[in-house]
Amino acid sequence: MRVLVVEDDPMIGEAVVAGLGADGYAVDWVRDGRAAELSVDTHRYAVVLLDLGLPMRDGIDTLKSLRARKVDVPVLIITARDTVADRIAGLDAGADDYLVKPFDLDELSARVRALLRRAAGRAEPVLSHGSLTLNPATHEVRLEGRPIELSAREFALLLALAERAGSVVSRAQLEEKLYGWNEPVGSNAIEVHIHNLRKKLGEALIRNVRGLGYKLG
Amino acid sequence: MRTYSIRRRLLVALLGVLLGAGLIAAVATYASARGEVDTFLDEELRQIALSLRDHAQLDLARLQRASDDPDLRALVQIWDPAFERPYSSRAVAPLPRLRAEGFATIEHEGRSWRIYATPSGKQTVQVAQPTALRAELAARSAGRLLLPVVVLLPFLGLLGWWIVGSGLAPLTAVAQALTQRDPASLKPVTTPQPLPIEVQPLVESLNALLQRLDAAFDTQRRFAADAAHELRTPLTALTLQIQLAARAQSEQERAIALERMEKGVKRATRLVQQLLTMARLEPEAASKPTEPIDLYALALLVAEELQPLAAQRKVSLEVNAAAAAWVLGQEDAMRILLRNLIDNAVRYTGPEGRVDVHVRASEREVNVSVEDDGPGIPVEEHERVFDRFYRGRDAAPGGSGLGLAIVRQIAELHGGTVALSAGVPGGLRAVTSFPAVLMPAAS
Repeated sequence: MRVLVVEDDPMIGEAVVAGLGADGYAVDWVRDGRAAELSVDTHRYAVVLLDLGLPMRDGIDTLKSLRARKVDVPVLIITARDTVADRIAGLDAGADDYLVKPFDLDELSARVRALLRRAAGRAEPVLSHGSLTLNPATHEVRLEGRPIELSAREFALLLALAERAGSVVSRAQLEEKLYGWNEPVGSNAIEVHIHNLRKKLGEALIRNVRGLGYKLG
Repeated sequence: MRTYSIRRRLLVALLGVLLGAGLIAAVATYASARGEVDTFLDEELRQIALSLRDHAQLDLARLQRASDDPDLRALVQIWDPAFERPYSSRAVAPLPRLRAEGFATIEHEGRSWRIYATPSGKQTVQVAQPTALRAELAARSAGRLLLPVVVLLPFLGLLGWWIVGSGLAPLTAVAQALTQRDPASLKPVTTPQPLPIEVQPLVESLNALLQRLDAAFDTQRRFAADAAHELRTPLTALTLQIQLAARAQSEQERAIALERMEKGVKRATRLVQQLLTMARLEPEAASKPTEPIDLYALALLVAEELQPLAAQRKVSLEVNAAAAAWVLGQEDAMRILLRNLIDNAVRYTGPEGRVDVHVRASEREVNVSVEDDGPGIPVEEHERVFDRFYRGRDAAPGGSGLGLAIVRQIAELHGGTVALSAGVPGGLRAVTSFPAVLMPAAS
């Protein structure tokens, strides 16, 4: 899952990037409204975290312009503006959720998960595919009731496949979902993770569709 | 202080004046009436005396009847050889016989008498009258004038009470408008009726005061709101870093989080310090005493304090001036101003950069310019960076957004100005100017 953080304050930006990174998200971080628009136009993000007091272009304006261009990415506003009027303005400008600073990292993660769930059209917090279940909140994976230990990256990869179970996900799409700008991607990084997942979950679960990518089947 | 009533004072004064005027009029009337009465009664005395004398044949019985007339306000005495003893119209101790023709006033047995005597040969006709009668007559006519004033006085008092009361009604209205207000409201005082020109200045100054108070409160409120808003950012960063430290998987992650926490605490501390500085510079600070300050010496001092920071960033920091530059001000505030300007320059100029401070004094003003060869600030932000909490696009992390706002506030407190412009090598130049003061050569 690739997430865009739009935050001008370096300390908060660093912390949010580190926190979401630990949850296994690929995190991109920009510091102003214009860069945010540019990023949204060039990458597919699962969620955008948007601060409102931004240099160059205000967060609300950025959001309105995204929505005007029919960009439907879920947007979570994170801001110090805490009045009811501010929240209403933020949500009415097209935000999906609103979180007031100072916030708790766990709450931020939970809200991001909720947005992802809603965007995927799921109601239940746990994903399941056959005898495989994934819990995005706890990173718990069970196969036939048996817990499986996965690294953050492996979990992210499996989640990306599980969310589109039955359809093929290309390697490029997986890379895009798993790695932020600042993370070097080895040429066979995805293959290595797939290999590890097959070792832990069995060869049959992840199928390789030659020339196209991978699918859960 | 004793309280008093305007109404009562005015009323007492008015009635006093009225009574005083009545008394003066009465005294004047008495004096003039007395003169007239004197002339009139003197003439009467003379007439009586002359007519008695001209009756050649003085008939004692007729005389007795005539002089017994109660309307005759005179004592008649006649010395005549034809009588056995001198005649006197009333049984009073006989007045002495006057020898000369004409009027005289004499004291006799405790009473004062006005006498007209006409001696002729051996006969003397003498008509006398107590002077008290004249005083009484004059007093009576003065009394007639004073009486209505005294009788009317209570009515005039009541009328005055009412007139003064209705004249003071606007004051009562203002007082009522004041008591009925919401104690927390700083809105101008208004009354339903228009106010007289005597009361208007009072209400106008009161409203001006309220307006100033309102503005001061507003500034305070905005400042507190801004401060709370700004403190939220470092606090958010701290909260997040604490949570990251708590869930850190490795020593390295924990160390990074701790280091960032320290940065966050430093930043919050700096913000709080700047906020305090700002609060101390609020308008009431203008009343603090000022002293002559040599900005050149002060700039040298501040630059010396900042040398370690400059050295750490490999920035060369120099202060240049031709002579002492005296201004009038508060030294602590001026030190903060110079420190903020030079500190900013040192922080924003790149490594190996240079910061030049020039202090120039002319007869009129003293200029301090702080120039760096860093990246500068876009011209469109040159004014906005003086706004509280405004942080430029390329502002360094950890700043409070208050430094330049404080500089401007101090400059204005000292009747000075501060402005930014592009520096010669492409950096930023901050120039602050103050009115110069002349110092004796001895200093």
